[in-house]
Amino acid sequence: MKKAKIVKKRFLGTSFVELWLEESDIAHLASPGQFVMVASGTSYDPFLKRPFGILSCQENQFGLLFEIVGRGTQILSQLEIGDQVDLLGPLGNGFSVNPNEAILIGGGRGLVPLCFLAQIFTIKKIPFQFFFGVKNRQEMVLIDYLSELSFPMIVSCQEKVNGFYCGTVLDAFIDWFYQFPSKTPKKIYTCGPQGMFQALSRIEGIQPNQIEVSLESRMGCGYGVCLSCAVKKKDAPGYFHVCKDGPVFQLGEIEL
Amino acid sequence: MNLQVNLGKLTLSNPIILASGTAGYGREIAPYLDLNRLGALTLKGLSLNPWMGNPPPRIHETYAGIMNSIGLENKGFDQFVGEDLPFLEKFKTKIIANIWGKTIEEYSDIAQKMNELERIDAIEVNVSCPNLEQGGKSFSSNSHVLCRLIQVLRQKVQKPLIVKLGPNTDDLNQVLLFMEKEGVDILSMTNTFPSLAVDVENQRFIFSKKTAGLSGPAIKPLALQLVYDVIERTRLPIIGMGGIMKAEDALEYLLIGARAVALGSVNLINPSAAMEILDGIEAYLIQKNILDINELIGKVR
Repeated sequence: MKKAKIVKKRFLGTSFVELWLEESDIAHLASPGQFVMVASGTSYDPFLKRPFGILSCQENQFGLLFEIVGRGTQILSQLEIGDQVDLLGPLGNGFSVNPNEAILIGGGRGLVPLCFLAQIFTIKKIPFQFFFGVKNRQEMVLIDYLSELSFPMIVSCQEKVNGFYCGTVLDAFIDWFYQFPSKTPKKIYTCGPQGMFQALSRIEGIQPNQIEVSLESRMGCGYGVCLSCAVKKKDAPGYFHVCKDGPVFQLGEIEL
Repeated sequence: MNLQVNLGKLTLSNPIILASGTAGYGREIAPYLDLNRLGALTLKGLSLNPWMGNPPPRIHETYAGIMNSIGLENKGFDQFVGEDLPFLEKFKTKIIANIWGKTIEEYSDIAQKMNELERIDAIEVNVSCPNLEQGGKSFSSNSHVLCRLIQVLRQKVQKPLIVKLGPNTDDLNQVLLFMEKEGVDILSMTNTFPSLAVDVENQRFIFSKKTAGLSGPAIKPLALQLVYDVIERTRLPIIGMGGIMKAEDALEYLLIGARAVALGSVNLINPSAAMEILDGIEAYLIQKNILDINELIGKVR
């Protein structure tokens, strides 16, 4: 098992935390869409590690950005710079990173793996358009966060906020798509709430097999032994396991 | 220092075993530990045919433990032989195959096939799964059915036969006597504890099957008591398990008389735990000036 030291920490608003950890194997090996399993304490309670998508890697460090949603993330949010955490990673299969051009569609905390992907595309000079949406004013901190990175972005907020597109990220995408149907690249990358994936798969003119989706799942182990993170296969009996077969899938191969 | 332990016909280089369902088929956990240093590796439970298991959610965290309702998902015998057996050939550690079925006939068929595989050193039978011929009640909930199952399996299996008993076995004394008479080699004890959790927000059960299996440090004192009691009642060698997290926990089981111990939930949160526990046991023996681990076994009764 690996140990990593927290080297940077900041709150984004009240419910999101950006953590940077020092662990050179993970920082050098990780690719966009992969994740780490992080212990939220040193006691047996909470018992399980928590899965987090990797936000970015720089030299010997890698970043995480998570939302405080329960006990594990609450405890993690209270750790300070200099503290060490136990972890496993990098785990799972990431996104394909060599398209000719790409569309990224993210919702809420789904920005994490897409942010890493956008950085890789920028380095590789692969043209892309990043659509990102949040639910409400509270989550606007995520838009502020992404704005600092100067990607080609179209952002939206479901709550009415002056100066921002009002609607879901898919509303914003569909407006753009119908305006410039010829510009839609073959490859779409997405991460966010399940409802978003379902709506995306119903858009006319887009095939589920051109969409790569990064799934979030409750996990036990993160490395393929407990089989907890089951997601139903489409058009075949049985389940995939998010940790080992994913977390990135083609939207057409899974049943949501 | 001698760490070797004998469980009837089965000899292990040390008493540390990885429990079924927490180490995959070896390949999954191999990057995190030295498989050859284990006393034995127990494979994820296999049935004759692939089985898809339960719909999610399959896991739920509780205080110092986890509840699971995986539903015995596995790839089936043939796929195991094709995909995983060749990998296991490269190691010398003892391999225990864990098997289950929905009917006595299914158990019998997988047991026979497993018995023919040279690489498999012992066969562990999970008797806590639902019996389709008895309305889905566990095989271990009816001692007559359980004894018939054991009798059938003993006829098919020439390798060491291990019966894994859950915490609730019908007429345990009768079953223990029967197992001794039939020549079962080893008992492993225990499996997860039946347990329940309610989703208060949505006012329904967390798991689709309602009941799930509780494991982890939360159950250790309960499991230790069960193992202690069963040792009192049988001559069969016991593999003790339930909530072992560190060397001290493993030593507790050995001291009350378990000949070997299996690690389960700890593998999920620390896949290298077996190595750390083995190191811890060696350090303890040195500190106590004990040359043979067998001197410890059953010392506290």
